[in-house]
Amino acid sequence: MPLDTSTYNLALLRVDGRRWNELRQQGNTKIQCIITGPNERDASKNTSSSASTAPTAGGAGATLAVSIMIAPFATVDRKRRGRNDKRVQEMQTTIACGLAAAVQGQAYGPRSTIHIALNVLSQDGSLLAGLINAASLALVDAGVPMTDYLVACTAGSTSSYAAADEAADPLLDLNTQEEQELPFLTLATLGATDKVVAMVCESRVQLTRLEGMMATAADGCKAARDFLDGVVRDKGELMVQEGAIGRGEVVSSMDLD
Amino acid sequence: MPREAEPSQNEKDFILKAVREGHRLDGRALDQFRQLDLKFGDQYGIADVTLGKTRILTKVTAEVTVPYTDRPFDGIFTITTELSPMASPAFEVNRPTETEVLLSRLLEKTVRRSNALDTESLCLVAGQKCWSIRVDLHVLSHDGNLIDASCLAVVAALRHFRKPDTSMEGDTLTVYTPAEREPVPLSWLHSPFCITFSFFGTISIGEDGEEKDIWLLDTTLLEEQLRVSSCTISMNKHGEICQVAKPGGAPVEAVTVLQCSSLALQKVKDLSDFVDQKLAEDSKHRNKGGLLAELSAENAR
Amino acid sequence: MFLRVICSPQLPASSSQIGRKNLIWVESNGGRYIPAVGDLVIGTVHHSAADFFYVTLSDYTSNATLPQLAFEMASKKNRPQLHSGDLVYARVSLANRHMDPELECVSPSTGKAEGLGPLSEGMLYSISLGMARRLLMRKSAEEGKVVVLDELGSAGLAFETAVGRNGKMWVNSKDMKTVLVVGRAVTETDEKSLAVEQQKKLVRKLVKEMA
Repeated sequence: MPLDTSTYNLALLRVDGRRWNELRQQGNTKIQCIITGPNERDASKNTSSSASTAPTAGGAGATLAVSIMIAPFATVDRKRRGRNDKRVQEMQTTIACGLAAAVQGQAYGPRSTIHIALNVLSQDGSLLAGLINAASLALVDAGVPMTDYLVACTAGSTSSYAAADEAADPLLDLNTQEEQELPFLTLATLGATDKVVAMVCESRVQLTRLEGMMATAADGCKAARDFLDGVVRDKGELMVQEGAIGRGEVVSSMDLD
Repeated sequence: MPREAEPSQNEKDFILKAVREGHRLDGRALDQFRQLDLKFGDQYGIADVTLGKTRILTKVTAEVTVPYTDRPFDGIFTITTELSPMASPAFEVNRPTETEVLLSRLLEKTVRRSNALDTESLCLVAGQKCWSIRVDLHVLSHDGNLIDASCLAVVAALRHFRKPDTSMEGDTLTVYTPAEREPVPLSWLHSPFCITFSFFGTISIGEDGEEKDIWLLDTTLLEEQLRVSSCTISMNKHGEICQVAKPGGAPVEAVTVLQCSSLALQKVKDLSDFVDQKLAEDSKHRNKGGLLAELSAENAR
Repeated sequence: MFLRVICSPQLPASSSQIGRKNLIWVESNGGRYIPAVGDLVIGTVHHSAADFFYVTLSDYTSNATLPQLAFEMASKKNRPQLHSGDLVYARVSLANRHMDPELECVSPSTGKAEGLGPLSEGMLYSISLGMARRLLMRKSAEEGKVVVLDELGSAGLAFETAVGRNGKMWVNSKDMKTVLVVGRAVTETDEKSLAVEQQKKLVRKLVKEMA
């Protein structure tokens, strides 16, 4: 029986004109995440080969299956993407393996699968980071046990790779325009620690620039974690007010972290 | 779906224990590569790389085609990978496994997106004719560290490759056979190499219980099956990172990633020198008696 | 690749071997393992079902079955608990061309294990089929021309081994370094087809490195 089916809208936010270290308050990346399961692992796994899977807890726990759908209207050029786009498949794998590090899969049997379906409704930079945050938040909301939030953030560097000037400033949370112009990386950490779960950098950048970018991204991750935590706590409060859960129950579960 | 045979529990326990104490099955140091060998074919653009028991064959071909309409001034450059069932029971024909998708994406990011090959130089007539360079990569034997070996093979093959010389006179484009004019090398901008670090959890060092990540370079297949996460760093010898990918897995301290990246630079310089040396040897071998010098002198316009 | 012609009888004698005495075996070093009755093999338990363990002997082949009661002193109430990934040393009891092979860990005539059964700890190495065969010979030094194990033993290393005809060798010792040295010595002998003198030299080198 499905544990919970929940829907979340996550808008990663910011109108430009912000300072280098400001997260967007209302950006144009919009992602919807739906968690289904855990279900019994279906024998016809091969038919849904568009999803990427990763076992949790060294194969002894539930499997995470991540599938990403990018809506054709999500980008400016409105190009339809094939299901087997390797870039999307790579992102799926990164998300599945990344979340597998945080999810306590042994709470479920080894033959169960949690499906994470991500729909990208609007795309404006930091796509992978947004997807990871959305999936993480949705898993928390669905009540899947996790060690901590898996949070992600992008960081870039002003001036392109060719210029070896040391004065280049790091930037946090890039939008599409910035992503096309500047070198950037996506960093996913486990909660507020400095532990790197996933890191993806696809542009040419000087090695010396890496440290600054990673530090900036790690700060962004901390901010993102606080933000996600705030969202979860607000929702918890709301549920208590509405009487969906008894007060004591919430307090005990919230005290855990 | 056929699966790779899982290593037995005994193997898992033993290897993890050995790695924690700093030993590897083949007696290598933790950051040591296996015996690396690179052979070029009789034709231009064939490279055969062996790294321990891993063997990879790449072939580069070129043909004249029509450029993409949205990129009229660029040539076409594609890398295709094929992991045949011969190399491992986990691979199937016509169904790309996750390994294959990640491998081809990494090569794409490392070699293509980093502009190692100047695609503008492949343009012959803007919007009408251009060269299409295609790299075919075949994994003949899989014993771990496919990524590093494949990247080396692709770079070596492309640098070894010579495309037929061409000339434009008015509206006519002439492509010369190797007999008419000596083929010309591709316009190559920089040589990126991948270095993959495999992580095996942490050990505590010292009495204050400080945790230290354990990592290995150039893992064999068995070691690869047991790692908890991996991180591939692509770089050229000038210290420019072309791509970093750590696709999930167990978390690793940020400091470790930075340490790995500086070590990667050192290893990339070694690999770069290795390829340079092999290319020099090959051209010397081909240029016996100074025949090439004679031909190219005649053709200089 | 090298070919060997081996005259019988070198197989471990058992009741099922009668009638194979005057055969000539042509063995190559490559190819995959094809089970034959009486072969000693090392398998990895894949999973267990009601009455059988399914055991992987080699890549690209289907699993062999090992009845849960084919162990020494096994009964319905007292049977060995093997889990996925455990190693087991067994004898092939049934090998038909188009059927999955069947294994046993007990001698059907005496009811004793005779050294067969689960292998705990240690390390499993893959060796070529030819090497496995040479190691399993009665007089492996004279006929098989492998002296590495004898040399390692006389160099003062204490270890135990089990060789499977499916190209596997299991090595165990109290000292981890000993296992590593034994493994390297055998695999290197195998891969480089070392002669007797070279094997002795290799062992001396490895033992020196270890100390």
